[in-house]
Amino acid sequence: MKILFSLFISIMVLGSVNAQDVVVKNRFVNHTEFGGLFGRVKYSSGSQQNTVESRTSLTLQTFNGIQVSRKLGAGIILGADWYKSALINPVAAGIRYDLSGRPNARFFVIADAGYGFTWLHQDSDGYKTKGGWMVNPGIGLRIGNVSTSSFTLSLTYKRQEVSAEKPLLWNQIERDEERVYNRIAARIGISF
Amino acid sequence: MKNLLLSSMILLSFCAFSSCTDKCTETRIVKKKVAILHPIANLRISVRALPARQLSNPGKIYVKDNCLYINEIKEGIHVIDNSDPSNPKQLSFINIPGNGDIAIRGNILYADSYSDLVSIDVRDPGNAYEVGRRKNVFSYGQFNGEPWSVQKMPDGQDALFLQEYTTDFVTETVETSCEDVREPVDPDITMELNTGNTSGKAGSMSRFALYDKYLYIVGNWHLNLFDISNPAQPVDFSTVIIGMNIETIFPYKDKLFLGTTTGMVILDNSDPSAPKQVSVYVHGTACDPVVVQDDTAYVTLRSGNFCRNNLDQLDVINIADASKPELVKTYPMENPHGLSIDQSTLYLCEGDKGFKVFDVKDKMAIDKHLLSFKKDMGAYDVISMGTTVMVVGKNGLYQFDASDPKNLKELSRILVTKSELYELFHSFSDKFVEKGYNLFKIRGVLG
Repeated sequence: MKILFSLFISIMVLGSVNAQDVVVKNRFVNHTEFGGLFGRVKYSSGSQQNTVESRTSLTLQTFNGIQVSRKLGAGIILGADWYKSALINPVAAGIRYDLSGRPNARFFVIADAGYGFTWLHQDSDGYKTKGGWMVNPGIGLRIGNVSTSSFTLSLTYKRQEVSAEKPLLWNQIERDEERVYNRIAARIGISF
Repeated sequence: MKNLLLSSMILLSFCAFSSCTDKCTETRIVKKKVAILHPIANLRISVRALPARQLSNPGKIYVKDNCLYINEIKEGIHVIDNSDPSNPKQLSFINIPGNGDIAIRGNILYADSYSDLVSIDVRDPGNAYEVGRRKNVFSYGQFNGEPWSVQKMPDGQDALFLQEYTTDFVTETVETSCEDVREPVDPDITMELNTGNTSGKAGSMSRFALYDKYLYIVGNWHLNLFDISNPAQPVDFSTVIIGMNIETIFPYKDKLFLGTTTGMVILDNSDPSAPKQVSVYVHGTACDPVVVQDDTAYVTLRSGNFCRNNLDQLDVINIADASKPELVKTYPMENPHGLSIDQSTLYLCEGDKGFKVFDVKDKMAIDKHLLSFKKDMGAYDVISMGTTVMVVGKNGLYQFDASDPKNLKELSRILVTKSELYELFHSFSDKFVEKGYNLFKIRGVLG
C-alpha cells in the first residue's frame, strides 16, 4: 500500500514540474468507464481442499478533475463495484498521465488510491460489512484528439479491502472475515 | 515508450504478486469442550458442613423458617440466618459437589449432587451431615450450560465415572471463498452465565418441588417422583414422561405447572402419586418460568443463548379451565427471568436490566401499573415472603421491605465476592472476546 501511495505522489510531483508549458492547463476533465473485475479465489471447505473458482464483477467509475498540465490530469474518482457479497463505492484521488504517442492514440498511466465505502450495500441478516482501502494502478489507451472527446480502454490492477462480521455458527463466539479483492480491471470508457 | 514499458511492468508485478486471487480469511473464536472423567465414588464422600464463605457464583435460593439457603452453583449451599432480614448472618457452607437445586422438608434438605439425590440433616447448619443418598437417580445434567453425564468405562469396570467438560476457546483462521452469504445459524447455546436460578417456596425457577409426601424433580423430558415418607431416604417410585424440555416446576393447589422451553404444561396433581397431564400451552421457543395465582398464570419468556427465540415478554394466561389455558395478554419485557406473585403484586426480574414491581389487578393493563423499577441491580429470581422480598442476581442477594411496593426499602444485601480478575472477565463485552478468551481460561482456574 505504501509503495502505491509513493508512486501516486511521485507522478503528481513530476506532472507539476512539467506543467509550465501547458496550453490546456486547468481544463475540466472527465473520464467515465465501466467494465469487469476479473480474478479468482482459492479456498478449502470441509473435505474439498484447494478449490479454485473464477470471479467476475461489474465495475463502473467516473473520474472528474482538472488538467494540471498537458499530460497530467488529477481528480476525484467515484465508483461502484458489484462484488457478489459486497457493493462497494470507492472514493479516491486519482491521476491520468499521458505518455508519449501519436496525437490521436496515446497510452496513459492510471493511479487511483482511496477508500471503498459500503453506502449502497445491504447486508443479509447477521452480516455487517465494512469497506476498506483501495488502490487501482494501471495503464490505458486513449483514442481520439487531445482537445476533443476520446474513447478509452484501460487495464488496471485493483486491490480492494473489505471486512465483515458474520453470523455465528454453532459454538462460535466471534466470526469475522477480512477480504482482499485482487482483480484485473478491464474497462472501456470515454474521456473529455 | 520507455514509460509505457515501465508502467506495464509495474502493473504486471502487482498482478503477479497477488496472482489476481482474492484473499479472504475468516477468523473464528470457537468454544470447544474437553471431556474430563472423575470417579463418582470420590465425589460421594465430600458432603459436609464447612465454615461460612463468601458467595461467588450464586444460584437458586430457598427459604425455610428463618433460614435462607443460597446455592453456590455446582459447589454447595450457603446457610444464612435470616431471622433479621436487615442483618442476615452467614452460618455455614454445606459442601455438595454438583449441586444446583434444593428443597427442604422438616429438618431434611434434599439436594442434587450430580447423579445422586442427597438427604442432609440441617437441624444444626454448622454441623449439617448426610443422612441418606439415592444413587444414580440422574444420568445427566448441566451447570451454566456445561453438561455432565454418568459414564461406564468401556473396559467393563463396574465403577461409574462422571464426565464433565472444560471449555477451551480456540481461535481458528481459515481461507474462505470470499463470497459465501449463508443463512445465519443459531448461535452457540451454551454460553449463558446463568447465575440466578432460584427455587423454593413459590420460587419460579425451581426444578424441585415438595407436595404432600412427595418430592418432584424435573429432568429434561420427564418428572421424577420420590416418596419422602421416610425423609432421610427418598424412594424414587415413578417417572412421568412429559416429552418437552422442562425447565421449572411450580406446584399450586392441586396442579403442577411445568415451564418448558416450548410452553407450559399443566398436570393434575389431585393424586400426587400419579400426576396426569391436563393441557399444554404452547408458545415459541424461549425460557419460561411460571407462577400462578388463582385462575391466572404468569409466564415470562426470555431470549438468550439458551433460549433461541427473541421473545422477551410476560404472558398472562387464564387457567380457570386448566384443560384449556387461554392467553389473556402479552406484555413486552426486556429480559425477564424469575417472577413471584403476592396477591395483586407481581415481582419480575429483568436480568441485568433490573427488577420490576407491577400491580396486576387489571390483567389487561399491567404495563400501565408499573409500581417500581430498580435499574441499578441485576435480578434473576425473586421470592416474596409477605412483606419481605428476596432477589438474587449476579451481584448477590438483596432483601427488600415491600410493605409499600411502590417504594421498596432495601433491608440488606449479601454481595458476591469475586477476584478483580473475575470482575475483569465479566466486564468484557463480546467486542473484546479476544482478550476475554484468555480470561475464560483463567476463570476456569478461579473456579
